[in-house]
Amino acid sequence: MAQNISAAAPKTRATSGRPSGAEGRKRGAVRLQGRGVTIAIVVCAILVVVGIALWMVQLSGGMVQTGMRNRDSWGLYLTNFMFFVGLSAGGLIISSIPNAFGMKGFGPISKVAIWSSVCCVCVAIGLVVVDLGGPARLWELFVYSNLSSPLMWDILVLGTYLILSLVYLWAHLRHEAGRMSHVAMRVISIIALIIAVSVHTVTAWIFSLAPAHEFWHTALMGPWFVASALDCGTALVLIIVVALRRAGYLKLAQSNVTNLSKMLAVFVLVDLYFFACDLLTSGYFGAGSDVVEMLTTGALAPFFWSQIICMAIAVVMLVAPRMRTDAGVCIASALVIVGVFFKRVQIMLGGFQLANVTLGDVANEFTMTNWESGIVALGYNGVVYWPTPLEWGVTAGVIALGVLMLLLGLRYLPLNPTEDDQAEQEAAIEAQAQAAAPAEA
Amino acid sequence: MRYGMAIDLKRCSGCKTCSVVCKVANNVPEGILWNRVLTDGGEAPDTSSGTYPDASIGYLPVQCNHCENPACVKACPVGATWKDKETGIVHQDYDKCIGCRMCIAVCPYTGIRSFNWQEPKNYADYPLGDAKAAVHQKHTVEKCIFCEHRVAEGKKPACVEQCLARARTFGDLDDPDSEVSKLIATRETQQLHPEFGTNPSIYYLV
Repeated sequence: MAQNISAAAPKTRATSGRPSGAEGRKRGAVRLQGRGVTIAIVVCAILVVVGIALWMVQLSGGMVQTGMRNRDSWGLYLTNFMFFVGLSAGGLIISSIPNAFGMKGFGPISKVAIWSSVCCVCVAIGLVVVDLGGPARLWELFVYSNLSSPLMWDILVLGTYLILSLVYLWAHLRHEAGRMSHVAMRVISIIALIIAVSVHTVTAWIFSLAPAHEFWHTALMGPWFVASALDCGTALVLIIVVALRRAGYLKLAQSNVTNLSKMLAVFVLVDLYFFACDLLTSGYFGAGSDVVEMLTTGALAPFFWSQIICMAIAVVMLVAPRMRTDAGVCIASALVIVGVFFKRVQIMLGGFQLANVTLGDVANEFTMTNWESGIVALGYNGVVYWPTPLEWGVTAGVIALGVLMLLLGLRYLPLNPTEDDQAEQEAAIEAQAQAAAPAEA
Repeated sequence: MRYGMAIDLKRCSGCKTCSVVCKVANNVPEGILWNRVLTDGGEAPDTSSGTYPDASIGYLPVQCNHCENPACVKACPVGATWKDKETGIVHQDYDKCIGCRMCIAVCPYTGIRSFNWQEPKNYADYPLGDAKAAVHQKHTVEKCIFCEHRVAEGKKPACVEQCLARARTFGDLDDPDSEVSKLIATRETQQLHPEFGTNPSIYYLV
C-alpha cells in the first residue's frame, strides 16, 4: 500500500506548496500531486474493475471456484477481513490516543491516520460482502437481525465505527478551523478510542465464541486481536507518514518517528507475549497440545515461524538507534505487517485444521479443499485450505479500492497538517539540531 | 415436545441405506449428503483399524443432531437457521440464508452442514423425492431437517423408516412413554461430543 506512495511520489514532483486563497494558505495547501500518484490511482482503478468482474464470475459460476469448502468454510476473504479490521482499528487508536490524553507532537499525522483507518475499514466491509453467498440479501441483516450472533454484533460495530471515523475526521477539521471546543474534541477522541478497541474485540469474538474450535476458543483472543491491531496499525501509519514526509506532504520531527518506532516495538512484544501465554496454556497439559504441535511443527509451521522471525527482526530494527533511518523504519514496519498477516492466516486455518469428528469418511469436491484422494483424513495432511486465483483477484480488487481511496484522499481532502502543527514540528526539528550541534563541536 | 432419535450402533451394519434414502426423500443435490455413515476403523471408509487378528471396525451414522442448545441457531446473523419450540427440530430457511457460513464454522460436528457451492444439480432431469421437499438454492447452507415435511404428516423420517437393520428409532424425547425414551432409559447411551454443551437430540445406543 505504502510502496505506491513512496515510489510514486518523488520529492521534486510531489510537492506543490502553492497557496490558493486564504483557506489554502491556512492549511498549507500541500496535496499529493505528481504523475506517479496519478499512475497509481489509475492502476488501482483498473484493479478495482477487474476485481468486480471476477466477483461477478464468482457469483454467477458459484463459489465452487474458490478454495473454500464445507470443512474449511472461510478463507482468504475473511483472513484479510480480520487483518484489515486490525489495521484500521490500530490506526485509529494511534491517532486518537494523543488527542484523548493531550499528548503533543502527533498533530500532523492524526488526520492521515484516521483516513487510512477509514480506507482499511471500507476494505474490511468489502471483503465481508465478497465472502457472502447472497450479497443481494444483505438487507436482511438489518431486518432480521439476530442479536445473539457475534457476526451481527460485528456488522453493527463496523457500521458505527465507519460513521464515527468520518465524524472524527470532520471534528478534526472543525477543531482546526476554530469551530469546535478543545473539550468536545477530546470527548470525540475518547469515544473513537473506545469504539476502535471494541471493533477489533468483537471481530475476535466471531472466532473465540465458537467452543468447537480448540484454537479459537480462548478468552485471550479479544485482547490479542487488539494487540495485533496496535502493532500493524502503528506500522502502517509509520510507513505512510515517513513516505509523506519524504514526499514533502508534511513535516515531522525525527523524535516523533523515534517515539512511534519505540511504541511499535513495545506493541510487537506485547503481541508476542500474548501468543506465548496462549501457547503455554494450550500446550502445557491435555488436548491443546494439538494446537502447539500444529503451529510449531505441523501444517502451519511455515506461517508460525515466519511470523516470529519477521517480528523478532522488526523489534531489533526498531530499538537499535542506528537502524531507525527512514528505510529502516519502513522495512521494520513492513515486517510487522507481514508478521501480523501470517498470524491471521494461522488463526483462520488453525480453526479448521483440527476437526472434531475425524472418523473415516468419503471426501468429494464440496466437502474439503484437498479432496482428490477421496478420503477425508488425507485431506488434512498439509494445509487444509489454499485460495484459488479467483480469490486472489477479488481480494486484490477490494484492497485496491482501499488504496485508491487513500490516494484520492491524500490528493483531494484537506488531510495535510495545519500551519500550527507544522510550526510545532519545525520548532522541534530546530531544537534537536541545536541540541546536536554543541556535541559535534 | 422434542423430537429425537436413538441409533443402535449394535444393529448398524454400515450399509448406508440411510444416506441414500435421505438423498432421495429430500432431493439432496449432487455431491451433498445430509446423512453420512462414518467408519470407526482405518482412515478410509469401510476399512478396519489394526491388523488381523486384532482388527476392528464399527460404524457411526451422523446427521444434524438437532441440539437442544444449538450453536448454529445462536450464531446465524439473520435467523435463517432456527429452532422450532413446538418440535425441537432445527430448521433451515433457504430463502433467508445469506450464505455467510457462520453456522458451518460454529457447528461442533465437523461436516454436518453443507453449502451449495454451485447451482444445485439433480441426478435426474426432474426433482426427486417427496413433493413437499424444499427447493435447494445456490449459495445457501443446508443440512438434515429430520424430514420435517414427513414428520408434520405424522410419518417418520425417511432414514428411520427404511433402515434395513431397524437401528433407528424416532420419537418424542419429552414423552417418557415413547419408544425412543424407553430405549434411552434402558440402554447405555452416548451423544456425539456432549462436552460442547449442545445436548444433541440424537442418542447412540452402544
